[in-house]
Amino acid sequence: MQAFFQRLLALDRRWVFLLVLLSVTIPIVIPIGLPVTTTSSTRSAFEFIEALEPGDIVWLSFDYGPSSAPENDPMAEAFLRQCLLKKVRVIVSAFYPLGGLDLANQVVAKVTAEYPDAKYGVDYINLGYKDGAAAVMRTLGQDITSSFPTDVNGRPLSEFPIMQGIRTVRQIDLVFTVATGLIGEWWITQVHSQFGTPVIIGPTAVSAPKYYAFLNSGQLVGMLGGMKGAAEYEKLLAAKHASFRKFYGETVGFTATKGMDGQTVLHGVILGLIFLGNLAFFLTRGNRAGGA
Amino acid sequence: MNLEFGRVTLVVLFALLPIAGIALGLRAPALRSKIPLLVAFFAGLIPIFSMYIPKKFLSGESGMSPRLDQWLIIVAGFALLLGITNVVSNGYRKISRRDRGWPYAIVLLTGLFVMGGFGIYGAISGKGIGFLPDGSATPFRWVWSAVFQPLQSTIFALLAFFMASAAFRAFRARNTEATILLIAGAIVMCGRVPLLEFLASPFPALAPSAAAASQFMGRATEWIMDIPNGAAQSGIIIGAALGAGSMAIRVILGIERGYLGLGKGE
Repeated sequence: MQAFFQRLLALDRRWVFLLVLLSVTIPIVIPIGLPVTTTSSTRSAFEFIEALEPGDIVWLSFDYGPSSAPENDPMAEAFLRQCLLKKVRVIVSAFYPLGGLDLANQVVAKVTAEYPDAKYGVDYINLGYKDGAAAVMRTLGQDITSSFPTDVNGRPLSEFPIMQGIRTVRQIDLVFTVATGLIGEWWITQVHSQFGTPVIIGPTAVSAPKYYAFLNSGQLVGMLGGMKGAAEYEKLLAAKHASFRKFYGETVGFTATKGMDGQTVLHGVILGLIFLGNLAFFLTRGNRAGGA
Repeated sequence: MNLEFGRVTLVVLFALLPIAGIALGLRAPALRSKIPLLVAFFAGLIPIFSMYIPKKFLSGESGMSPRLDQWLIIVAGFALLLGITNVVSNGYRKISRRDRGWPYAIVLLTGLFVMGGFGIYGAISGKGIGFLPDGSATPFRWVWSAVFQPLQSTIFALLAFFMASAAFRAFRARNTEATILLIAGAIVMCGRVPLLEFLASPFPALAPSAAAASQFMGRATEWIMDIPNGAAQSGIIIGAALGAGSMAIRVILGIERGYLGLGKGE
């Protein structure tokens, strides 16, 4: 037995890599359909957006890049779908330099294609990317057009009905930042704290722990933490709206709910590896002490 | 010409003063650091004063502070340019000296010029960097979706493999602190996903117990994230903010001069 645990401790890491690969790919190929439980931070985000009225206006900011797209894309898509269904107007922007704009274009094109009635410039608008996120956010409190004089295609904002009467971020009913890194935090410190606009954040799971401090202080309305948060959101949408129940039940595309199967199995594998590693460590401790 | 007090002051502080500083610096090198320190002093003080003094020339719509915010965006754009210059000069030096890893510098510079070139081409030609009217991708978009996006995803995905391997090798209950961390980590990993339901799925009789245990783990996870984690994060954020504030004061008062890039005694 001792020999087995000694060998386990010296296991070639490529076996671990293989195990990780299988535990992620098999549930993607053969979905398990595991249940998703919701947390209070996601529920409060969902309820706030559900309470918005048709004609209200929200700001959706793509503050992430391709590296975290599997976690963040489903959040942005679910939020945009909910807004378009509820006839809530959406202003889209991107502050992440490494591909935020391309992801915004991609997600907006994908979701708006599902809502042929939604008109560009009336129901939604894409302002594009702007460098210097924190500085830009500060100017949004004075005049949006000073930082974004045109939309992503270079047309003046004054041409679009959606921007009529909207001058500053103070007039926006909600900011939803789908973020990795620091940009999400800037929406809280530069926009919510200074201009009072409510903020919901959709961070990656890695950066989610930081935002609990802002949730506890009331500076965040809600949070969708990582892929789990996105899956919770999809579940809440499906529970509330029949059209989403059908969509998320039938879609062949990637959704966070599908991704959760792989994440669950991987968590199980990692926990098993930690348990085995510790077991082997303690059972072979005597040998190491003797050897020393 | 609009000669508002705020606008004139900004021009004096951030245009005439630096020009005078450059001229003086050429004649008297000892003065080189003095004018930048004055510029930093005023650039730091104006936004702070605007928070407390509700005067139009300071915090009004076209006051000094909002104008400085707009200038900051322009400066950020120049910072990007500075970054590109730095990457190019470092890469060129590495290649010309055949330093260790110089072929990677060629890849870096090729990527920079190809991607940047396609971006500039899109801007000049008016085709943009997205899709063309016929639905086909612009060269920039093609490189982005065929090269950049998969590369970024791959790099981030590799983390899962290394994290699993590191957890197996290094996550040990060696002492009390490590054991607390291990238990908290295990609860959060278990509570964030329906792991117990998955493990009980081959045994239908265990399903209700597994669901109840999973809900308990979920509540325990929320408590860990809300209370101990939330408290620790608040402490870290407040500490970092105080540190940033004290550093800002040092820069404004000219005590911290490292950003000037000057040698000792200047």
